[in-house]
Formats: sequence, C-alpha cells, structure tokens
Amino acid sequence: MKTIDQTVLKNIVGENNIKTDPSDLYAYGSDASVHHAFPWAVVRPENTAQVQEILKYANQNLIPVIPRGSGSGMCGQTVPIHGGIVLDMKRMNKILEINLADVYCRVQPGVIDDDLNLALKQYGVFYPPTPASSRIATIGGEISNNASGVRSVKYGATRDAVLGMKVVLANGDLVTLGTRTRVEASGYQLHKLMVGSEGTLGVIVEATLSFVPLPEFRCMGIANFDSLQDAGETIGDIMASGTIPSMLELVDSVAIKAVNKTMNLGLKEVAAALIFEADGMVREAVDYEINKMTAICKKHRGKDIRSSYDSKERAKIFLGRKKLFPALSKYDDNLASTSLADDMAVPYSKMAEMAGKIHEIADRHNIVMTAYGHCGSGCMHTKILMDTRRKDQWASAKKAITEVYEFVRSVNGTTSAEHGIGLSKAQAFKIEKSDSLNMLAAIKTALDPNNILNPGKISQAPENWVTATNLRYSVNS
Amino acid sequence: MNTEIMKFKHLEKWQSTLANCIRCGYCFEHCPLYKHTGWETDAPRAKIITAFGLLSKEIEPTRAAAHKLFSCFYCKRCEAACSSGVLLTEIFTDAKKDLLELGLCGPGTTSTTRTSCAKCLVCLAACPHEARSFDGKNIVTDPSRCQACGICIEVCPAGAATIENTFGTGRNELIDKAADFLASHKAAKAIVFACNWSYFPELQASTLPESEMTDKQYKILVNMCGGRLEPQLLMAPFLNNAWGVLAACCPDDDCQHGGNLRARKIIANLKNTFKTLEIDPDRIQMVQIPAGDKTLFQAEIDTFIARINTMGPIR
Ligand SMILES: Cc1cc2nc3c(=O)[nH]c(=O)nc-3n(C[C@H](O)[C@H](O)[C@H](O)COP(=O)(O)OP(=O)(O)OC[C@H]3O[C@@H](n4cnc5c(N)ncnc54)[C@H](O)[C@@H]3O)c2cc1C
Ligand code: SF4
Repeated sequence: MKTIDQTVLKNIVGENNIKTDPSDLYAYGSDASVHHAFPWAVVRPENTAQVQEILKYANQNLIPVIPRGSGSGMCGQTVPIHGGIVLDMKRMNKILEINLADVYCRVQPGVIDDDLNLALKQYGVFYPPTPASSRIATIGGEISNNASGVRSVKYGATRDAVLGMKVVLANGDLVTLGTRTRVEASGYQLHKLMVGSEGTLGVIVEATLSFVPLPEFRCMGIANFDSLQDAGETIGDIMASGTIPSMLELVDSVAIKAVNKTMNLGLKEVAAALIFEADGMVREAVDYEINKMTAICKKHRGKDIRSSYDSKERAKIFLGRKKLFPALSKYDDNLASTSLADDMAVPYSKMAEMAGKIHEIADRHNIVMTAYGHCGSGCMHTKILMDTRRKDQWASAKKAITEVYEFVRSVNGTTSAEHGIGLSKAQAFKIEKSDSLNMLAAIKTALDPNNILNPGKISQAPENWVTATNLRYSVNS
Repeated sequence: MNTEIMKFKHLEKWQSTLANCIRCGYCFEHCPLYKHTGWETDAPRAKIITAFGLLSKEIEPTRAAAHKLFSCFYCKRCEAACSSGVLLTEIFTDAKKDLLELGLCGPGTTSTTRTSCAKCLVCLAACPHEARSFDGKNIVTDPSRCQACGICIEVCPAGAATIENTFGTGRNELIDKAADFLASHKAAKAIVFACNWSYFPELQASTLPESEMTDKQYKILVNMCGGRLEPQLLMAPFLNNAWGVLAACCPDDDCQHGGNLRARKIIANLKNTFKTLEIDPDRIQMVQIPAGDKTLFQAEIDTFIARINTMGPIR
C-alpha cells in the first residue's frame, strides 16, 4: 500500500471532506455488487479545480483514483481492488442550466436522476434514460455505466441522451468533449467514448444532456402467460410489428412471487407477465399502439389482459417493477439476491429461448434464478438467489453463469446491456470482445498512461474474479 | 483484537439479514443524517455495512464505528423505503447493545445531560422510551433505549438535556436556516417544519438552478419530531418577516414518540397568543400527514400558502 499524504488532500478539499478511518473506508468499499475492498481514503471534491488538483497529485504519485456516484453499480465498478482514493462526486450536485430554447440541460455529475426529472417536469419535459435506481443514481454514474431503463426501448439509453461533457483527465487536464447541438460529425465523438467507460478514462465534471417532451397520454397494460416461452415470443412479435412501445417489460414467476411478498400487490402468480406501455401526444395514437400490443399478447395466449390510462393504476404496476431487484431478497429468507450474470442483451427473436434457458440452467445447478427485464430493448435480467454463506452455492453459481454467457454468445448477444462490466462480468466480457481487447488497452494507455483511473476494471479485471476473492459475504468452507 | 462472535450476541441473529441487504442504497436518500452531511458513511446502508463488518470481523469495534451505529433518529424512513425488508433500526439497536457491552457508547445522537441539570426529573416522565433514569446522583441515559426524539431537550427547564450531534436538526440550526431562507429569497413567506416521518416533497439531494429557487415561497425544514417543536423555534421565522409557519406532524396514532400531541398543545397556545396580539391565528397551523403521503403534504402546503397570500405580511 502506498502512503497517501493526507495534508495534500486536506489542502485541496478541506479538512471536512476527507475520511480515512477504517470504519469509513470499509463502508465505502462496496456497492450493490457482491464485491468489497478497502480504499485508502475517501475525498469529496466540490468543484472542477479540486478534481484537477486531486488527479494531478494522484498521477504524480501513482495512486489509484476511483470516481464514485451513489455506489449503486451492480458489478463492482466502484470497489477499489487496488486501494487508492475514492472520489465521492455527490457534492458536485448542481443542476447548472435548463435551456428550453436549445433543448438541453447542463448538470454536475452528482445530480440525482430523479431530482433532474423533478426540475424538468415543470417545463413539461423529461430526461428519459432513467434506470430503476433513478431515485439514487447520479448522472455521473449513469453516464459511466451507460445506464438505461424501462423507457429506453423508445427513447434510448444514456449514450443517446448525452450531447457533451467536461472531463478531467488522469493528468489533471480539463477537456470539453462533444457539443450542445443535436448532431455532431466532428471527429471521434470522444464524449460517447466516455459513456460506459466506468471511471477508467477520466472524471466527468459536467454533462450536457438532451431531454424530450413529456407525453400527454400514457397507457400501461399487463398480460399474464402460462408459459415463459409464450411471453418471450410475444416480445419478439411486438418489436417486429412496427409498434413502438414506451415500455415492454418481462417478469417471470420468481419475480412475481417476490414482488407480491414484499409489496402485497396481489399479482396473479403465473409463469410470466408482460408489462407494456405506449405514450404519445394524441390519445388515438396511443390507443392504436396499445390495441396492437394487446392483440399480439392474445395471439400468444396472453390472459387477464388489462390496460389503464389511470396514473394510480400505472404507478402500482410500475412500482412493483421498480422495486423488483430489492424485492428479490425476500423471495426466501435464507437466500440473498446476487448480481452476477444479470443484464445480458440478446436479439429479440432469442428472448423466449433465453428466458427458458435461464430456468433450465438454474434447475440443473440447483439454484434459483429469475428472468425479467427491459425486454423491449433486448435486455434480459437475471438474479441468482442463493445462500451466500455456502461455498457449494458459489460453485454452482459459477457454473450457471458460465453456461448463461455461453448461450448469450452463441446467439450473438452481449455480456452487459446496461449495468456495465466492472469486476463481476469481466471474464465473460473478455471472451466476447477478445479480438478488440488490444484496442481497449491502447485507448486506456493513451488516456491514462499510469493506470491510476479505476484500475483493475473491465478488461483489466482479474480472471475468474466472480468467485475468487474479495466477496463481500462471509463464505464458509 | 479478539472480536469473537460471542461479543456480538445481539447482532448475531441478524447475520443472514445483513447479507441479504443488497446494498442498493435506496435507504440513503431518505435519511436526514445523510441529507445533512452528504457522507455515505452517515447513511443507513453504511450502518448496515458497519454492522456486517463488525460481525464478520472485517473491522474493529472502535469509537468511530460505534459513533455510526449510535447516530440515528429512529424516524424509520429507511425501513419504509427498503423493499428487501431489512429491519434497520432493530439492527442498530442490537448493535448498540453489543457495543455498550464492549464499553463503546457512541456518542452518536444519544441525549446526554449537562452539569447544569437541576435534578427536577421532568425528563424522566417525558421520555417516551424510558431511556432516562436517576441513579441517585445524576440523570443517566440508556443509549440502547434512547431514540433521539429530543423531547427531553424541549421539556428540560434548565437547558441541561442535550443532543450533541444534531445533524442539522438542532433548534439554533433550524432558526438560522429559516432566517437564511427568509432573507435570501425575494418571494419567501413561510417556513414548513416537518418531522422526517412524512416523506416530504422536495426530498432531493441535488441543488436546483438558482433561477428555479428565487421565487420559492416556502422552505421545508426537518425538525425530526413534532415533540421538538417549541415556541422559540416556531416564533423565530416571524421575527424574520415570515407570513406564516406550518408544522407537519404524524397522525395521532402514528407518532412513535407521542410528539404530535405536544406539538398540538403548543400550537394551540401560540394561536391564542396570536389572537391576543390581533394577528390572524391561521398564520400558524399544524397538519397531520400519514407516512409517505407526499401528495397530501404538498396539497396542505399549497393550501397554506394560498391562505397566507390572502393575508399578506404581518403589519
Ligand atoms: C436496485 C437497483 C436497480 C438498478 N436498476 C438499473 C436499471 O434499471 N438500469 C441500469 O442501467 N442500471 C440499474 N442499476 C445499476 C446502477 O444503479 C446504475 O448503473 C447507475 O447508473 C449507477 O449510478 P451511481 O451514481 O450509483 O454510480 P456508481 O455505482 O457510484 O458508479 C458507477 C460507475 O461510474 C463511475 N463514475 C461515477 N461518477 C463518475 C464521474 N463523475 N466521472 C467518471 N466516472 C464516474 C464509477 O467509477 C463507476 O465505474 C440498478 C441498481 C440497483 C441497486
Ligand atoms: S438496507 Fe435495504 S434499502 Fe438500504 S441498502 Fe440494504 S437493501 Fe437497500
């Protein structure tokens, strides 16, 4: 462990914005992933100049720096496996500008997604990428993970909404990337490269984001299915039909049971349910989309189909989906919900097969896995529910994950749709991207020659990380 | 240090719950401590992580670790927000018991008693959690029982009962914040005091653009419990030209500290004083908001602001 000169850091951010007590460092050592490691210090910069100073110091002294938003990442992106300084960006939380004429807003990276949408709402517009964790996720974290959410099927992921940004590079230099215009063809689009870079290429200190009008009408529907296969085929059919849903979500029986248990929503415990939504400025147009989706659900033996424009009814359905991941922890008191292979994307036509495969793999390895997700955008989530104290469960989980990813690659899917790679998914990622790993390494070396920015992540993550070391759980042998 | 599991005999039963916390962080946006300091280490998730760390011997039971677990106002917003069903405050209480046995007692938000105590014992009767007792010489607080509601502070005639770490909810801090808002916002006319149990609108961590803020007519300040509202605090905004003060408390049966009943009495008395002074008593009002009903809360605020707008400033 290198020594950190606390005086230098205190001089930059002030006495009250640094933590070095082991109990504080321990708390900052994890996120929503299965991993944990101790950082050496946590600092909270207030402005760009301070971020520049910290990076200059760290770069000169070869100290790792791990940018951190709310630490809600699911793959260990903010877990400091090589120690270093955790850069807590939540103090830079100002919405700087809402420019209605030019249809963009400028924010600091620590702004919380829901807070931004609260501010935008009064102008009749919204920032659409919104992950389920929008109540806590920061814009900096969302950009760095290329987060997406239920509405991405219609409105795109974070990458689609980012117009430009200011970034502090590893050596402390400040650069302005991208633009404030809707389109740009001026060179390499470096701001888009920053999206999804998981804090490994630079520290985002400001972002320019586009927004869209809030629709006048939103109608949400739900359909039950007796087989996961039917639900999966419905998704493919809806997406191929020319309909543009504003949401198309799958939940399987495990997920329905968990939501019912925690939130008492009284959902019917069937094999699978699809939640679909259409939105727009004209009611007839929304009706048209909803009717079309309803008909496709019926064609695939969808049951109990109902839809509603009522905001309370919609909120009830949506709440269950939004709180699904935490709710999975209540499926069984002895099983914890872990994010391992948790957000693959596969082509629409493979959705049904993917959902079935997840259950088949889980059964074979004697673990509980669930299939759900933003299937309209091709994203299939799964969680592995297991007794995290048992070594044999980890071994089964590892086998299951390996098989899931083998299947994903065999159908031309991808390792991560929205949560990113971090540590947990690095192994699968490296296999998937084996022919471009050298390009990634070259970019990283060009921008961060001393490898101080969030080292050991994505393509640098150790092999076999998932079940190797630094789990946050106490695993009995 | 030998931190055998025996030493955490109260925490031990939470072992699987502590593992089941998915560390999503959904609880921290609700926490008044986090809102005040902005440090994740003051948020509920960090306390759960700390408890897990102690139990799994990843960290030592130190004063700093104890301070985290002893810092909680028991508003239980985190529990309401956690859909993994983690009973956070019960875990904190059990951790406190274990830490006390190890000789670590916070300080956290536990109420203490200064030497100016007159031994009148008023606080003993007032404490809703039976946390205070008289040992023949001094008043002592049982930190594992104290829920930091602050009622002892408000009833103590000698000003001896105190909470050292108020996380922005202390009387003087609230008075200053109210004065600051009233002085710096052109359209400012009201202060809303809210217990943290009401999941209030504007519960946001981010700062809005200045242009959005200048025409703000009211500010919501979290005072933790209605039981901590007292005349000096409620009247302070009027000395800074407020047109009105609204206090939001829990419905009668909901308040775990019985604080709303105290608040009602105090506000009724202040209304009488207003009448004597020929000031419209509606300028100070109390509303009861069930936990989580932010729509009702916003509606009550809007009604109140509309009402005081018809009255204008106090002459
Ligand atoms: C219950 C739950 C539900 C979720 N649902 C979704 C979902 O629907 N869709 C989805 O996409 N994700 C989801 N997530 C994952 C996660 O919340 C998102 O990826 C979110 O964007 C992370 O934001 P954060 O502020 O917590 O970032 P963190 O976890 O703190 O950081 C994420 C990454 O961003 C980097 N970073 C943070 N700030 C900066 C900065 N200023 N500059 C450079 N790098 C930075 C970090 O180094 C790290 O690599 C969910 C998580 C949870 C716990
Ligand atoms: S206590 Fe609940 S809300 Fe808080 S981090 Fe854990 S699971 Fe999430």
